[in-house]
Amino acid sequence: MKSLFQVGIVLAVCLAGELVSEAIPAAIPTSVISMILLFVLLLSKCVKPRHIEQFSDFLLKNMAFFFIPAGVAIMEQFDLLKNYLFPFLLICFITTIITFFATAYTVKAVMAAQKRVREDKRHE
Amino acid sequence: MNDFVTSPFFGIVLCIGTYAVGLWINRKTKSPLANPLMIAIALVIVILSVFHIPLEDFNQGGDLIAFFLIPATAALALSIYRQVWLLKRNFLPIIIGSAVGSLVSMGSVYGLCRLFRLDDVLTQSLIPKSVTTPIAMDLSIQLGGEPSITVAAVVVTGIVGAIFAPSLIRLFRVDNSIAAGVAIGTCSHALGTTKALEIGEVEGAMSGIAIGVSGILTVLFATIIL
Repeated sequence: MKSLFQVGIVLAVCLAGELVSEAIPAAIPTSVISMILLFVLLLSKCVKPRHIEQFSDFLLKNMAFFFIPAGVAIMEQFDLLKNYLFPFLLICFITTIITFFATAYTVKAVMAAQKRVREDKRHE
Repeated sequence: MNDFVTSPFFGIVLCIGTYAVGLWINRKTKSPLANPLMIAIALVIVILSVFHIPLEDFNQGGDLIAFFLIPATAALALSIYRQVWLLKRNFLPIIIGSAVGSLVSMGSVYGLCRLFRLDDVLTQSLIPKSVTTPIAMDLSIQLGGEPSITVAAVVVTGIVGAIFAPSLIRLFRVDNSIAAGVAIGTCSHALGTTKALEIGEVEGAMSGIAIGVSGILTVLFATIIL
């Protein structure tokens, strides 16, 4: 019964996420809204980690698995892409690495700047 | 035979079976290139093609698996909540990092598409490729792209992130779990996040935050710039 309850809470949050996603004009999907909703519920202690822990950890541990059908569906696009398969794959590959690099270094740079500001404040 | 492949059990069992093979090969070779997800996708595609099984039949079960993507993304809230003190302390670096990453992603895709002289439809389909599928599809339609190409680009990008994240962390000497996590989530959305969760709890949580932040910011930037 307890595990069923956990599934119920997470799915209820997703249902609420779907309603909100339809209600707002911006193109923010159900998954992202549900994540924000569940986060707010956890912060406000309306939902406690132990209420959703087992089911959530099951989902998180197997997250890659749930992507298999999305990956398989690429086969339908193969005809559309076969003429530019090489640039397509190359662009996906290179830009992902550039984005990783830019993001990681920005985070590190801002963290270092923040640290300096915090230390200066302490010295004043 | 027909009943066999159109049964939802077929798609589900096929996914679990091929994923188990992927995990086994990954354990045996210990190579990040032997990514279980990529192996499973490749095996399913080969099996469907060889036996002439329509994608539609596979999706009787496949859709049931894909259904869990939304609750799984929602569940990232729990891993973020477990690291909430880190989020509070590093709020600015996370937001700014994600913002810069999202801009760089769109800019670098645009630049490379021009360099390879790809047509406008393909370029517009690729621009939103670093964000989570539903956002990317909406944006692709808005920009005048072809959403099915966008989905393919999103998945390929995610797999690149999932496979190469550990190597990129080493290559660029990212000795900071927060920076690594935000970078993985920003460059390769929820699919890359699956690898971030394996690397560590902080990486997973930060990558989860970055999915949401970069997704929302990309919508914002695209509306402003384009």
